[in-house]
Amino acid sequence: MAAELTSIKLNPESHLILDQPLLRLPHELARRNFKTVQRVVEREKEYVLPALKEAANASLSNTHTPDQTLAALDAMIARMQGLKRKMQSLQEEEKKIQTQSRKRIQHLEALYQIPSLADVKYDQWSRVRLDRLLVDHMLRSGYSESAKQLAQERDIEDLVDLDVFTQCQRVVESLHRGETKEALQWCGENKAALKKSQHNLEFELRLQQYIEMVRTQDPSKKIDAINHARKYLVSNQDPDSKEIQRAAGMLVFAQDTRAEPYKTFFSHERWKFLSDLFIQTHHELLSLPSQPLLHIALSAGLSALKTPLCHSAYTSSSSNSQSTTTSVCPICSTELNELARKMPYAHHSKSYVEGDPIVLPNGRVYGKARLLDISKNVGSVESGKVKDPTTGEVFDESEMKKVYIM
Amino acid sequence: MDLVQKEHDRLLKRLRTSQGINNVQATIDLLLSARNTIAADPNQAAVTLTKLQNPVKASFNSINDSLKETHGGLNKYTKSLDKLFKDRPLPSTEHDVLSEQEHLINRAIAMHLLREGQFSVAATFLSEISEKKATMHTHESPSSSSAAATPESVSSLFNLDEVPSPEIRKEFASMYYILSQMKEQRNLLPAIEWSRENREALEARGSNLEFELCRLQFVWLYHGESDTPVGNHIPGNWSAAMAYAKREFHTFLPRYLREVQQLMGAMAFCPNLQGSPYSAIFNNSSAWDDVAQFFTREFCSLLGLSADSPLYIAATAGAIALPTLLKLQTIMKAKRTEWTSENELPVEISLPPSYLFHSIFVCPVSKEQATDQNPPMMMPCGHVIAEESLKRLSKGSRFKCPYCPNESHMKDARKVFL
Repeated sequence: MAAELTSIKLNPESHLILDQPLLRLPHELARRNFKTVQRVVEREKEYVLPALKEAANASLSNTHTPDQTLAALDAMIARMQGLKRKMQSLQEEEKKIQTQSRKRIQHLEALYQIPSLADVKYDQWSRVRLDRLLVDHMLRSGYSESAKQLAQERDIEDLVDLDVFTQCQRVVESLHRGETKEALQWCGENKAALKKSQHNLEFELRLQQYIEMVRTQDPSKKIDAINHARKYLVSNQDPDSKEIQRAAGMLVFAQDTRAEPYKTFFSHERWKFLSDLFIQTHHELLSLPSQPLLHIALSAGLSALKTPLCHSAYTSSSSNSQSTTTSVCPICSTELNELARKMPYAHHSKSYVEGDPIVLPNGRVYGKARLLDISKNVGSVESGKVKDPTTGEVFDESEMKKVYIM
Repeated sequence: MDLVQKEHDRLLKRLRTSQGINNVQATIDLLLSARNTIAADPNQAAVTLTKLQNPVKASFNSINDSLKETHGGLNKYTKSLDKLFKDRPLPSTEHDVLSEQEHLINRAIAMHLLREGQFSVAATFLSEISEKKATMHTHESPSSSSAAATPESVSSLFNLDEVPSPEIRKEFASMYYILSQMKEQRNLLPAIEWSRENREALEARGSNLEFELCRLQFVWLYHGESDTPVGNHIPGNWSAAMAYAKREFHTFLPRYLREVQQLMGAMAFCPNLQGSPYSAIFNNSSAWDDVAQFFTREFCSLLGLSADSPLYIAATAGAIALPTLLKLQTIMKAKRTEWTSENELPVEISLPPSYLFHSIFVCPVSKEQATDQNPPMMMPCGHVIAEESLKRLSKGSRFKCPYCPNESHMKDARKVFL
């Protein structure tokens, strides 16, 4: 009984492992938003203060006509009004993010009010979590429409990050089409944060642009390529680095070359590499785990539930679809069976069998009470006989033999 | 969690009272009024502009101050999040077996959606999957040679089984129709009809679903087609219930004689059923939910599926198991050991009893779980140990059971199935 009580105890603190991105992601967005505010304010400050000083000096020394002074002031006013508009829209954005965060905190907070894993409320909470995990998985796999629809039907739009992933997906698709523009734009928007990243996404994108120019084999394009390399590649990287040398070496090869590493450079696979790199960098920046949360939850869950019986050649007596008193084990169910095949099974240190087990002449073990109960309910069995619910064989009640399982 | 909530509250409050934009507006006002002064009297330009320097600078400073405040709030919130999730990083991604089996996961999801009655989402999901597959093929075909393309197109034909078949979809659609009739319209007839069509299969399972449904139908008719029992007078539909009983119950007679007798006996108490020994049958508030659950279980079992969504159970079990697994991971990392038992998790995870589906046999001698290769064997005395332990103990000759004085021979032991 004591073991039963501990096994249904709910420890919310450790239960939230899967839910970190739920709060982390909007927070990263809020911080990014804040940095943008900081940047635009700084930019206007750098402009307005010197401009004002200059205007004052100019009018002190009478080098400006009044009209010029007024024009300078007008320019400053216009810039400040632009700043105000920008700040207003950023503040709106911020409000949106924080209201969403609020709802997410409330959702997690609800878990703290649930006393045990056996509570109906836990069941409901866990179903919402599953829906969240499903939406996350769909978004990551690029099934945005399904994700959106599911989120709407389950009313969990504030608990999932549709916009973030949709944007990410758009860039990925553009890379699949062989376009670098959107990815580079994204790099520009996140310049500050990217400096800390260990991946050099921008360099790889610029390199790809260079490769595309060289690919044409058109002499004028090659000149462009060299200029491009000077402007973007060398400035980013140590000019003696291997990448730069290789890029330079590429100029003398055509795209059907078999020489490595140039063959890889020209290969279309490189676009796949870029889109993977983009996803990796994007997720890292927003504190998103690299694999779908559903995978994490499932691989833990499949193992925790799996027993050696789930992929056994013999039908299990304790869990099968042949009898109404046993329910089908989720791992044995068609949906997950194949998926769980490669997973390790759960560790148990104690046997766990039905109360008062008996064995039938065919070797099948059942709880005595359950077997008698089933036999009573199955119409076609005479009294004094029992029917094996798994094999359908009928035995005499006296043939039931007590079995000791420790 | 409380700390996170408190910090977030502060963040929200600060956001609402943020002065940043007002400060910008103040700067604009300053500039505007200076402009007006100068426009009215150009001679004032130098003086006005000189005077303007410090206030504008000051208002920029106050914008920055309010930004700093916000920054501080954000940082505090970051810290509270760090504290909440401290020492709880997400599990490392080293062995992600699942990502290689994307199609199986997608199939499981599609089945889950169908089970949950999310038919339109499921349809969108399936069409998006096939769309993606189609574009993948067009992407790959130019690069891969024609020889490689042929086996691929063959395999794509075989891949059809990765989406639930239309039959399964139809089955779930009919299950949902029956359930919604039952729950929303209190209409048991489609369910009864289904249970009659599958009577043989249900009887083989020892299921009394059909009788349960008919009994509820009888009770419902008796209560005058409403959920709540009417007062102590003979309900108008007493005769309807009796007519139903006469028409339907004779088929149940040999098997459910006692239950039918109870129902008929209850009718004798008719005006005062509440006080009768049978009132429990007639005033069961959860009867409808129980029957709906029962029906779902039987329906899924006939399809060879588990009653509750496996995806739901597995994901929930995963969330319960994760803390333990993570602890294990950190310990292994700290001790630099590898987990060697490839087929079995190295720690026991305690799941609630409702998550145990199979009987578990752990050999009391070797402490290993029985498998197909090492099945449980019962000695003539009735004690069970694993086959390998048995071989080790007997060494081919007679041996004593480790748990009782009985002696037996290896060949007397019999394999049992749990």
